[in-house]
Amino acid sequence: MKTTIKLAGCYHHLTLLTFVLSTQSVLEEKVEQLTDMTAKQSIIHLNLNKFKEYVRSPPRDYSFVVMFTAMAPSRRCAICQHVYEEYLIVANSFRFSPAYNTKLFFGMVDFDEGSDIFQMLRLNTAPVIMHFPAKGKPKPADSMDFERAGIHAEAIIKWIQDRTDVQIRVFRPPNYSGVVAFAMLFILVAGFLYLRRNNLEFLYNKQMWAVVALLFCFAMVSGQMWNQIRGPPFFHRTKNGPVYINGGSHGQFVLESYIVAILNGAVVIGMIMMIEAAGGVKGTEAQRAQDGKRRRLQTVVGLVLVCVFFSLLLSVFRAKTQGYPYSFLFK
Amino acid sequence: MVTSATLYNIMQFLNITIDIRNVCVFLAPFFSSLTTIVTYLLTKELKVCDLAGLVAAAMIAIVPGYISRSVAGSYDNEGIAIFCMLLTYYFWIKAVNTGTILWATLTALAYFYMVSSWGGYVFLINLIPLHVLALMLLGRFSARVYVAYSTLYCVGTVLSMQISFVGFQPVQSSEHMLALGVFGLCQLYAFADYLRYHLSPANFELLFKALLTTLLATLGTAVVVLTVTGKISPWTGRFYSLLDPSYAKNNIPIIASVSEHQPTSWSSFYFDLQVLVFLFPAGLYFCFAKLTDANIFIILYGVLSIYFAGVMVRLMLVLAPVMCIVSGVAASSLLSLHVKDIEPKVEKPDKKKKHENNLVFRSEVGAIFVCVLGCLLVSYVFHCTWVTSEAYSSPSIVLSARAHDGARIIFDDFREAYTWLKMNTPEDSKVMSWWDYGYQITAMANRTVIVDNNTWNNTHISRVGQAMASSEEHAYEIMRELDVDYVLVIFGGLVGYSSDDINKFLWMVRIGGSTDRGAHIKEADYYTGSGEFRVDAHGSPTLLNCLMYKMSYYKFGLVYTEGGRPPGYDRVRGAEIGNKDFNLDVLEEAYTTEHWLVRIYKVKPLPNRGL
Repeated sequence: MKTTIKLAGCYHHLTLLTFVLSTQSVLEEKVEQLTDMTAKQSIIHLNLNKFKEYVRSPPRDYSFVVMFTAMAPSRRCAICQHVYEEYLIVANSFRFSPAYNTKLFFGMVDFDEGSDIFQMLRLNTAPVIMHFPAKGKPKPADSMDFERAGIHAEAIIKWIQDRTDVQIRVFRPPNYSGVVAFAMLFILVAGFLYLRRNNLEFLYNKQMWAVVALLFCFAMVSGQMWNQIRGPPFFHRTKNGPVYINGGSHGQFVLESYIVAILNGAVVIGMIMMIEAAGGVKGTEAQRAQDGKRRRLQTVVGLVLVCVFFSLLLSVFRAKTQGYPYSFLFK
Repeated sequence: MVTSATLYNIMQFLNITIDIRNVCVFLAPFFSSLTTIVTYLLTKELKVCDLAGLVAAAMIAIVPGYISRSVAGSYDNEGIAIFCMLLTYYFWIKAVNTGTILWATLTALAYFYMVSSWGGYVFLINLIPLHVLALMLLGRFSARVYVAYSTLYCVGTVLSMQISFVGFQPVQSSEHMLALGVFGLCQLYAFADYLRYHLSPANFELLFKALLTTLLATLGTAVVVLTVTGKISPWTGRFYSLLDPSYAKNNIPIIASVSEHQPTSWSSFYFDLQVLVFLFPAGLYFCFAKLTDANIFIILYGVLSIYFAGVMVRLMLVLAPVMCIVSGVAASSLLSLHVKDIEPKVEKPDKKKKHENNLVFRSEVGAIFVCVLGCLLVSYVFHCTWVTSEAYSSPSIVLSARAHDGARIIFDDFREAYTWLKMNTPEDSKVMSWWDYGYQITAMANRTVIVDNNTWNNTHISRVGQAMASSEEHAYEIMRELDVDYVLVIFGGLVGYSSDDINKFLWMVRIGGSTDRGAHIKEADYYTGSGEFRVDAHGSPTLLNCLMYKMSYYKFGLVYTEGGRPPGYDRVRGAEIGNKDFNLDVLEEAYTTEHWLVRIYKVKPLPNRGL
């Protein structure tokens, strides 16, 4: 009995050895093929056979990052295109970086070419980016969470670095559209000035500058810079209908800031109307009876504007700030 | 510091006995009263409306945006700096209006004082050249402006370079380049004027063109050469942060974490300025209608500062004075326009017929208007009083709350904890806490802290953040490394104090993970699967086992906090904590204050060998 077992053990050992040898050559072959494919196209397009061979079947010493997507226009997946572009940037950055090695490959599966792969992995959404580690099965953390991390190339790279320890530096093809737009604007303005070169008076137009300055003030006071930096939602949808005013004193919605800008603007217009009605800054007297009537009307309208919109503003502020005791006209 | 020492010595010299501490406490109110006077003078100098100065001074006296820095006891650089800034502006406008070297030199002296007190002087040294540039473009450049600016730039730059913090920056850094460039431009402009005066137009044209080309070529070559040799580097991050103030915030977490560096939402504008928010545009309208050299300055100041205040809450301080000035102009002009209508008029006999029609209701409308504006101003007074009493006048170290029956509850836990530290710990012990409490611990408990409110170098803050965010074993290594004896955390879960350490915790994670040594700390680990930050049973295990969590919630699972809730119910997060039953291995609880606001732990020494 004893010998048999030992013999069997030997036999087993031998097969293992041959197995290891054969896997070694299979692996080398696979890596070579993958490298060739990557050289042609930095993202390898996978169908069912290729997917099984390169991504699922065991002899592997490389990680595979695969994007599952639905790019066909009929699928109407708008975000797929964005994710694809970012993913392409990542794959290209890796391929042309000095850190390029054969431990990491990028692939993609389109739903229309490999719907059986989707079924096999029980995927029913797209796009998904999954990481298939060199050893073992993918864990839940091996599929990237777009909702939390975002879809930017930087986020994808950070995720890849978390999963595989391969560090990639993003190399974005320089974006010329901004430069071109700026140049266009510059040319337009320069051209305009050149065409009007005999009549540059309008640059000295006080009224225009005043309006520009006032608009700028309204934009700033209503917190557009806050919107720019924080990027809040336009307004909030709840079960009881949309909410336009953020209840907390530290947040605001985009629509809310527009409302406030309009309220502020209305108060200021009311004030300016009253200034003009009282004879303007220069203090001119009304000369005709008709003129006097118009001015009186203007004053009254201005006054009403100031009162109503100031109290509206006050009540909006009151709604936001807890314990604010003052109100005017409206609750 | 120098200011308070000087004041103290003057007082002593005059045989007024006053404690140096009292000097410090009353420094801010003293300077803000000076600010009020300067505001009056500055507004008066604008010459838009005769009485605007008084209104503006009254407004700045109570504007909440400035009161935050001028209450007694706020011993801060900004309090003095705003006074210096307005003084500089006043002298500058005076200098532009008169064109004398005396006023320009005074401007330079005020500027020097400003430079020595606050880093915000950069705003000033960009604003004044911008004003000169605008005057040049509008064709209002005159000998007066030339004298004022040349004197100011020379004297002011030489003086400011005496401050060691500034050094050679006025000729090297990109923030000061505008001032230098405008100074050069002034000389060229004046020289061109001089030539034009002496030469015939044709000759002048030729010479002008030749000179201009040579100059541009020389400048261009110089810039290229200097950039290539690396003497100046205009396209660095610093330059971008000048153009786009959100740059620094998005890239450096320690800047983003400070609450004063947040962008300003409309409600904080309204909170700090109230009626000024819409009196300001009306005042701008007045300034545009009566454009003078001084008005252009105020318009530039207003528009620029409103931009910067939008980017950062803290810069509301710079905006508040100009808001008051311009609103003062608006309010007093509106009042004087309409008060005219109420006053009985002496009619000229020949025009009487014409005016009869206009005068129907005119005085009534005027009266109503004055009433409404009066209402606005009264509401401003009420608003300011309310804001000041709510937000700026309670000491930040003693908290108060209202009970259900309206009685006032005082939480004096901070002082309790600091006194405990002072009385019960060895004098050389080192305390680790988040940086917000650094100065308080140093001053009130007289113990060494690891990090304090000075945030210029964030690597050690990051190290503390890593300790707080790590598991106990790992944190123990960091604490041994930093040689910490006591750890202090702020915990508001029992009384519902929302700005406690758990709510600041994500910043600790971010700042901790922002340096090399904290690379193992990943923000994502502290969220639940669906991306939420929760402290209850669904929270991420990394969070539930990190040092900060354990220190905050140690033995909290045994406490009933609110009726009808399970024990261990956190009243800030509104959740029952997820990890209730645990022991601390490397720390022992040393002291917890009455309302659990401050909890102090002692770091255990290394265990004996063989255990």
